[in-house]
Amino acid sequence: MKTRKMVLLLVLPLLLFPFYLGAAGQREKGKEGEAKAAEIVFFNFSAAPVAGHQEDMKKLVDIFEEQNRGIDVKLETAPFSEYFTKLQTLIAGGLAPDVFELNYENFVNYASKGVLLDMSSLADSDSTFTSDIFYPRAYNAFNYKGMQLGLPESFSTVVLFYNKDLFDQAGVGYPKEDWTWEEAIVAAKKITNREKGIWGLNSGIQFWEFYKKVAQNGGSLFNEEKTEVTIDAPENVEALEMMVSLVKEHGVMPSEAERGGVPDEELFKSGKLAMYVSGIWMFDVFKALPFSWDIQVEPGMKRKATHFFANAVSIFAATRHRDAAWKWARFLTSSPEMAKIRIETGWELPALTNKEYLKGYLEKSPPQNRDVVFKSLEYAIVPPVIERQNEMQDIINQAIEHVSLGKLSPKEALAQADAKVEKLLK
Amino acid sequence: MIEREKLSNPKAATKTLFYMVLILFSFFMIIPFLWMISTSLKLNQYVLSIPPRLIPEKITITNYLRLTEIFPMTRIVFNSLFVAVTMTTGQVFVSSMAAYAFARMKFRGKSAIFLLYLATLMIPFQVIITPLFILMRYLRWTNTYQALIFPGIFNAFGTFLLRQFLLPLPRDLEESAFLDGANHFMVYWRIILPLAKPALATLAVLAYMEAWNSFLWPLMVIRDTGRMTLPVGLATLHGRYLTEWNLVMAGAVITVVPMIIVFLLAQKYFVKGIAQSGLKQ
Repeated sequence: MKTRKMVLLLVLPLLLFPFYLGAAGQREKGKEGEAKAAEIVFFNFSAAPVAGHQEDMKKLVDIFEEQNRGIDVKLETAPFSEYFTKLQTLIAGGLAPDVFELNYENFVNYASKGVLLDMSSLADSDSTFTSDIFYPRAYNAFNYKGMQLGLPESFSTVVLFYNKDLFDQAGVGYPKEDWTWEEAIVAAKKITNREKGIWGLNSGIQFWEFYKKVAQNGGSLFNEEKTEVTIDAPENVEALEMMVSLVKEHGVMPSEAERGGVPDEELFKSGKLAMYVSGIWMFDVFKALPFSWDIQVEPGMKRKATHFFANAVSIFAATRHRDAAWKWARFLTSSPEMAKIRIETGWELPALTNKEYLKGYLEKSPPQNRDVVFKSLEYAIVPPVIERQNEMQDIINQAIEHVSLGKLSPKEALAQADAKVEKLLK
Repeated sequence: MIEREKLSNPKAATKTLFYMVLILFSFFMIIPFLWMISTSLKLNQYVLSIPPRLIPEKITITNYLRLTEIFPMTRIVFNSLFVAVTMTTGQVFVSSMAAYAFARMKFRGKSAIFLLYLATLMIPFQVIITPLFILMRYLRWTNTYQALIFPGIFNAFGTFLLRQFLLPLPRDLEESAFLDGANHFMVYWRIILPLAKPALATLAVLAYMEAWNSFLWPLMVIRDTGRMTLPVGLATLHGRYLTEWNLVMAGAVITVVPMIIVFLLAQKYFVKGIAQSGLKQ
């Protein structure tokens, strides 16, 4: 008897299973039927809970829904490191979000696969919209082969941070906007004091810094159509030579061994580093340092080039709610309400040229010289992106490592990398 | 004198040396755990302070409080427990039935089916994740507990482990039961299961660990914060540019503590299990 009861108990839920399925299906259908409103799913990484902007994003949704009755925005957030794996699965699995965020590197990838909606016609038919409100660099970054596949949502620039106290102690003038690396090295030499463990300068020796310095020296890694590899061009060799000379020849930057695993920002925080290149997201971290510091546009070589990190809002090509999706994308990238909340909460900056919005931001300090954040945007370059991006980055990083370990000369290393990357293009 | 005698005893000396090496190694093993706890009690500005300090200058529990503000922490812990417990129970039940069939019953094509079943072990999860996701969509199960639990219940490894355990049991046991009129389920439930207890416990511990730590699948299939499990929640604590390690570590402590409790309770089975399965995960 006992066994029978047990069997029944175990089998019963299984028998009920189909009913349950049916019920679940119906529930979902019912939902769709009763909601006349368009529900759009907005998948994002910038409202991750840790940065504390989860609430700010919810506020934006509330304001938007208030202004656009009948549109429901459903927020779904994933951490940046897992975001793209999930987005890929959602799209492949047929549950793509209607609107989603993309950073520049991934934008190119998704754009070339045709999953993004061309917003040009939506933009043209919307009489209240004009693209002039955006920084042209940021807006055009998301134009792919003449199609506007994303609107710039926010950006961060990378600038030169410097410790004023260290400059004063060494009697050296503060960095100027038109500085080249040569001038920075001269200043750094005067400040560097190995006995006290004080270093003049730090600028990473890796792929990201490399393509930027290549651009500063007037070079590039590929031709414009990305059909030819120009990694071993003389300008590029010169740029790499300059990068490694900071450690080897000039001794103003600590080598890996000398820094003993301490990250740049910790060196800067502890007052042991006079100049270093980093993103404006560090402002918050450096808010209460015991010394005074400021920022300047990063030094250049033949010309200036700076990094910028931009996020775009894109619409899924096969969304069922085009108009609603467009309205939300437009609101999220260009509304004054959004600009206000972003500036107030120190979220990333809106890519809008209207200086009115930025008043509160520019008045804050430190750093005093906040104009630099926007000046740097004028020199912003985008990273070289090819289909086999990761492999290309690995190859170049390997070459750079060989040079910094002294195994190969910059010329040899880049020639080897050039040959390897060439194979990736085929 | 006594001391000296002891030391001069070669056996005692090797033993002392042996224990010293063991203590040294256990120290290496335990440091990351202590560091995790220590960091979880620090304010952010002290996390990477130089020189590093194991015992924080100021001990604070704000990290834990902030975690509860950031997410519905009790809900997430409940989700993790619920999913892990149901999945473990389900897996042990289903695997033991399948193992019974493969080990004790005779039917045509048995070894072929078993081979096929085993072959599924060879397919990495990353490969089936998209098809599985699509399957869940057809079932309208995305973003539900079922989606978290069911794919984990049917597990070839568990079946294999239990089958190997059941194979050498003497046939006489069940034959007498059949003579008394028992059916297969009765034999399975009354005779085989009680005998297989150590193997079941082993499987339960392994399955629980796997369910508890599972990350990729919950990340893919869950869209609401309210249904997240701990590892997924933990991942959202990593920022794009900066990570607050004190928060991450507080989350890690919350994630690890239930595992440590399970380990302490089931230590015996755990060690046996690893010895038995010949696996180290």
